[in-house]
Amino acid sequence: MRCAWLLCLLGLSSSAACAQDFKLHAWLDGRLVAAPDESSWTHGGLGKTRFGNGGVDVRFGGAGLVGAAQFTPALLALAEVQFQNTDYPSMSVVEAYLRYRPVSLSRWRWSVQAGAFIPPISLENEAIGWTSPWTLTPSAINSWVGEELRAVGAEGHVEWRGDADTWELRSALFRHNDPAGNLLAIRGWSLSDLTYGLGSRLREPDAMVRQDGRQPPGRYDPFQNIGNRNGWYADLSWRAPGRGSVSLMRYDNRADPAAHSDSGVFAWHTYFWTLGATADTGPVTWITQAMDGGTVIEPLHGLQFETHFGSAFLLAGWNRGAWRPTLRIEHFSTRAPHSDPGIAQGEHGNAITAALNWRPREWLRLTAEVLRIDSVRTQRVDAGLPAASAITQIQLGIRLIY
Amino acid sequence: MRCLLVVASLLLGSAWSSMAAEVTVHLSDGQGHAVNDAVVMLTTDAAPATAPVPERPVTHIIDQRNETFIPYVQVLRPGDKVVFRNSDTTRHHVYSFAAIRTFEFVLRPGESSPELSMDKTGIAAVGCNIHDHMIAYLFVSAVPATTMSSHGGDAMLSHLAPGHYTAHVWHPQLHPGHPEPIQKVTIASDADVLHLAFTLSLMPDPRMSMDREHLDY
Repeated sequence: MRCAWLLCLLGLSSSAACAQDFKLHAWLDGRLVAAPDESSWTHGGLGKTRFGNGGVDVRFGGAGLVGAAQFTPALLALAEVQFQNTDYPSMSVVEAYLRYRPVSLSRWRWSVQAGAFIPPISLENEAIGWTSPWTLTPSAINSWVGEELRAVGAEGHVEWRGDADTWELRSALFRHNDPAGNLLAIRGWSLSDLTYGLGSRLREPDAMVRQDGRQPPGRYDPFQNIGNRNGWYADLSWRAPGRGSVSLMRYDNRADPAAHSDSGVFAWHTYFWTLGATADTGPVTWITQAMDGGTVIEPLHGLQFETHFGSAFLLAGWNRGAWRPTLRIEHFSTRAPHSDPGIAQGEHGNAITAALNWRPREWLRLTAEVLRIDSVRTQRVDAGLPAASAITQIQLGIRLIY
Repeated sequence: MRCLLVVASLLLGSAWSSMAAEVTVHLSDGQGHAVNDAVVMLTTDAAPATAPVPERPVTHIIDQRNETFIPYVQVLRPGDKVVFRNSDTTRHHVYSFAAIRTFEFVLRPGESSPELSMDKTGIAAVGCNIHDHMIAYLFVSAVPATTMSSHGGDAMLSHLAPGHYTAHVWHPQLHPGHPEPIQKVTIASDADVLHLAFTLSLMPDPRMSMDREHLDY
């Protein structure tokens, strides 16, 4: 699979040589990390941060390549590949799509795109490689989006462009995202800047893998088709440059909760609402976002396990030229009815993230970040750990951008 | 706004040509920084003695460099022409859906558009359909006393006749819905030199120059 994606990228590159406009962008990220003592979820533990097992070490943050080819004034092809080694060395395709957007000489403009793309949920992750320019670690909501959500399908987009504001409606039909929701049910929320792509595999908690009678490490492909159902999302947004924006989205992967792959990966029927807003008050940018939803599987006929999940955050970034201090607070929870045996678990927690960004050159960003998470998760008791956890992760990051 | 421009041009035109009074305007934002790319106009309610003398149409060049339109704001007289020149190494698809003029040009690197005549007064926002962060404004005004602020935030209007005027300021980043910044001006004699100051509350610059971190596809 990995080779197939590489060949796709090479194919795109050679085609792009014929295109009038081809641009290549890249980023490389390194970290100095003081990790919490708990084992990270990326290594099969129940720690909610990207890094764990204590100590102060130099870590590889990631690297990515983005290629964009403007074949005609209306037709754009974009592909992004990423290399990570936090869990295991992997090359994956974060996004790859074609977009057709003809010019419009009226206030209305439409476009369509087809391929693999990230649903337009995050108001934070607006930088190259779907990273956040505000913090190293995105919110719990957008950490999960980067881990498990990807649409393989087609999206339509209509804009109405006013003198002072713009209204946008996006809607997509997609497949290959049926396991989405598994991670929230069996692991809970995380705060991690690992963005998984097509061709990568997510790590399950070792405690859950053993409980299922399997041997760790357990990994699964979150971007696969199980049950042949189409999912959809629709997003309505209002944007007023200089003032702010509001977005409301409904997502439903419409997975068949009784379906499972040959390797035993279940389709999780996952649905949620998300509401987000941004505002500019002088030099301070505010971003807030909330998500509320659920995910269901039916491992035996008539026996359903449902996990409700919710999270919300508020971020304030102070734009001071090359310097940008940022503070974010958030709450997250999952909840399953007590009548559910086995995997029904719940959690609730709060996190605070303080980051100081410095961008002395266009190609360089330096970030210092402190992330503190306080949470309680019932599953931890099953694994012989105290239910409550309080962990702190400190990072110094350097990102080179081409 | 369009009516204001037309009426004001008829009223002010006769007094324009041979007078010596001057009005200088300094524009700054709330932090005291100079504001450039602001349009400053002087209008009057006085009746014109004669019709304004039409000026020869001028052709203005709007360049595209580093995925940025240069200048950001261009003042034109009705009948003036504009040419879009692509000095980038990438294609641009320049367009406008403004009420005063709709147009589109696909421009290859090094290519220029045909001359485009702007005959109606008003404001045309110009964009690039390939690079959404590119934006420019064509401000078509029939008011003779119309000028723009320089990089130091200063604008000067000269050859003004004695009379009562209103100074108007327009900038693309003024908050929509807020009252238009205006000041009353009285010129007592041909030798007057008056100084005005405006403090503008501006929204952040919507243009995003080529930024390696924000790709904006």
